[in-house]
Formats: sequence, C-alpha cells, structure tokens
Amino acid sequence: MLRSSSCSRAFALAIILVALSAAEALAHCFVGPRFFPATLATDDPCVADEMSLPTVAWSKTGDVPAAAEWDISAELSKRITEDLGISIGDTWSNIHQPGGFTHAGFSNLETTLQYQLLKDGPHELALLLGLIVDWGGTGAVDSGLATPWSTLTPTFYFGKGFGDLPDSFGWVRAFAVTGQIGYQIPTRSFDIDSGSFIPQVLVYGASLQYSMPYLKSEIHDYQLPDFINHLIPLVEMQLSTPVANNFGNSGLTTGTINPGVIWVGTYFQVGAEAVLPVNHASGTGVGFLGQLHLYLDDMFPTTIGRPLLGGSSAPPQQLKF
Amino acid sequence: MRRFVIPSLLFAALSSAVAHAHAFLDHANPLVGSTVASAPREVSLTFTQNLEAAFSSVQVTDANGARVDQGKAQVNGNTMRIGLKSLSPGTYRVRWHALSVDTHKTEGSFTFTVGGR
Repeated sequence: MLRSSSCSRAFALAIILVALSAAEALAHCFVGPRFFPATLATDDPCVADEMSLPTVAWSKTGDVPAAAEWDISAELSKRITEDLGISIGDTWSNIHQPGGFTHAGFSNLETTLQYQLLKDGPHELALLLGLIVDWGGTGAVDSGLATPWSTLTPTFYFGKGFGDLPDSFGWVRAFAVTGQIGYQIPTRSFDIDSGSFIPQVLVYGASLQYSMPYLKSEIHDYQLPDFINHLIPLVEMQLSTPVANNFGNSGLTTGTINPGVIWVGTYFQVGAEAVLPVNHASGTGVGFLGQLHLYLDDMFPTTIGRPLLGGSSAPPQQLKF
Repeated sequence: MRRFVIPSLLFAALSSAVAHAHAFLDHANPLVGSTVASAPREVSLTFTQNLEAAFSSVQVTDANGARVDQGKAQVNGNTMRIGLKSLSPGTYRVRWHALSVDTHKTEGSFTFTVGGR
C-alpha cells in the first residue's frame, strides 16, 4: 500500500482505495462440480448470500520509515434474484508511522452490484459483471483515509476450473483460475486540495488455486487427513495501473502477490495469506491477510440465505436417471 | 463486554445452522479414482448432509457410455447406493446429483477401475 509525501497523498490514497476495493466482495460459488472459494484479495465469479466478518490485513507502507497499517473490513453480500446480487462493505484503517503520524478511520462505503452472466457446469466456467461504487465523502476524509469524490468501477469477473480436461491429466484437473478486471473512473478529475490530477485506473487481479476437496471427490481419494481435504492452497495477485488523467503523477503499477490457503468448511471458510508487495511503491516487507467468511445461504437457507425475489434455486426437477 | 458480542453472535449463528448446507461427497466405495481387484456389486456414496431421495440420483457407465448400474438408487439419510451389473475389467464413471434436505443442489463425477488395467 502506498503512503508517500503530502503533495502526493491524494494520489496515494486513490491507489490505496483501489487496492481495498479489490480486497473485499466475496461469494459462495458452485459451478457444476467445482466450488470456487471466496478469495481474499480478489473477488470470485458468483453472486451469493455471504458475509465476510472480519477481513484483517496488516502491512507496511513504502515510506521511510515505513508506517504500519491495519485494515479491518466487513462485507455483506445478498442476492436480489438468483442472478443479481448486491454487496456493501467498509474498512476501518489505522496507519501509524513510528515517531510520526497516526491516522485512523473508515474508508468510503463501498457497494457492488453484480449480475451473473454465465454458469457453465460441465466446463466449470463462470462469468460475472459488476459495478463497484465507492461513495465519496462517506469515510474519514479529514484523516486522509477516504476521498471526497466517488469512484465507479465497471468490472468483469471470471472463473474457470480445469476439471473438464481429459482424465489422463489426473491431479492437474483440480486446478482452477479466477480473475477480474475493472476500470475505475473517479467522479472528479482534479483534486484542488492537493493540486493533483485524479487518475483513471485499471484494476485487475487473478488467483490460481488448487482444490483438495475437488481432488478427493472428483479425481482420486488418497484418504488424506480430513483437515487436508478441506484445504485450497492458492496464490492471488491484485494490481492497479493508472491509465488516464494521470498528468504529473506516477504511472507505476502497484499491487501485491498473496500466497496462502483457505480452509473450506460446511458453513464457513477461513483464509490466510502472506502479502508480498510487487515493488517498493506498493509497500515493504511481508504483510498478512486473514478472513473469516460465512456462507449465509447454507446457514439460513430459508430466510436471509435466499434471494429477496424468487426461490433459493430453480424448482427441483425429478432427475431422469 | 463488547468484545464478546460478535463472537457470541457468530457462535449463535453457526449453532443454529446445524444440518442445513450443500451436500458434499464425503467418501465413496469404491474409492474415488481407485483400482479394485474384483468387480464391486454396488457403488455407495456418503455425503456430508442428508439427501432428498426424490431428487438425488447416481448412474454408472462404462468406457463406451453404456449404463452398467441397475437403474434405481437407494437413498438413506446421507448415503446413496446403486447396484451394479456384472462388471468386466475396465474403467467406469460414476455421475451423481444430490439435493440436500434444504434444497441445495450439488453434483459430481469420478471414475474407478476394475482389474489391473
């Protein structure tokens, strides 16, 4: 995460908020035999009824001396219909520089409207469209942790499991990838306070994941310990690159690469990742990201775990075989 | 006092959610991806949740896609069984669909091999 001199603070905050916007929004995602877990740093490609509470991140900024930053966030995702969902989330941050400043407060409120374009079970393919809105002025603007302007980020998400490869590929079929790419548009082009342009930013990320539950139930049951069979090791990457209206600012790509693991249970999952900055502008040292994620559709299948409109799923049909 | 509120709410939520969830395949007999020396007489699937019998099913096919099961699965609680015809050495695919008692649907497939092929 960026934290730099006062003259570029607005730009740095914009980048931070870009990173945070990609670090929330989660879903319970079945596509055919494939289960895509709720990834921690990027979003998965499904609408769902779920809640992340909390997501905790710790990292050090690229400043000299580096400031320590804690982020604690929560998000609630709710299906309106079977294919349309909305989520709302926020993050509380505390940034402390040894011998220097301490900033604490909430970032801007973030909402995401998502529409499920496709769920292709046989090919384990899911496509999703979303619009992320960061509502300006709803956070701690005075502390520099939020901006007075809003941002709109149309985003495309995808997920693809490799289970449809031929059986001869064996254990490789347990791999899956997910990803997202969005274009962040601020509602202002110039920040008068800092005298800097507010860039439009390409926000993108991906995950490579290996599903031990899939290996056990679809490929080969090695009768490993039950705990191991619930694990999904993964590597996530989240990046952002200013691409327009960036006069006088750095055009440097920032972001992190996060190796970690998710333990998937029946009603919730727990994830933990190391956070590795891709360059000095993205932070220093190794950070940490952890999350408890609740599957509301499994916990409350007849109440808050079903879509607001329509049933929790298509009416069951008698199977033919 | 406040610090106990959220954990208590979470615990209450998790506790109240017993027995409602997606049905994952917990284990199968023959084991997923295994090779068995002699032909099994049935395939047994055990799930993590109880199933709705009317909306859960399984079929077993040979390498040519021909059915080798006896047609009607038996569902009892979280277990689904289906009898098999006499199997010759070869690889067989098991495809299942499950509807848990709270109407969550899951599906999957796997293979097992008879003989040392």
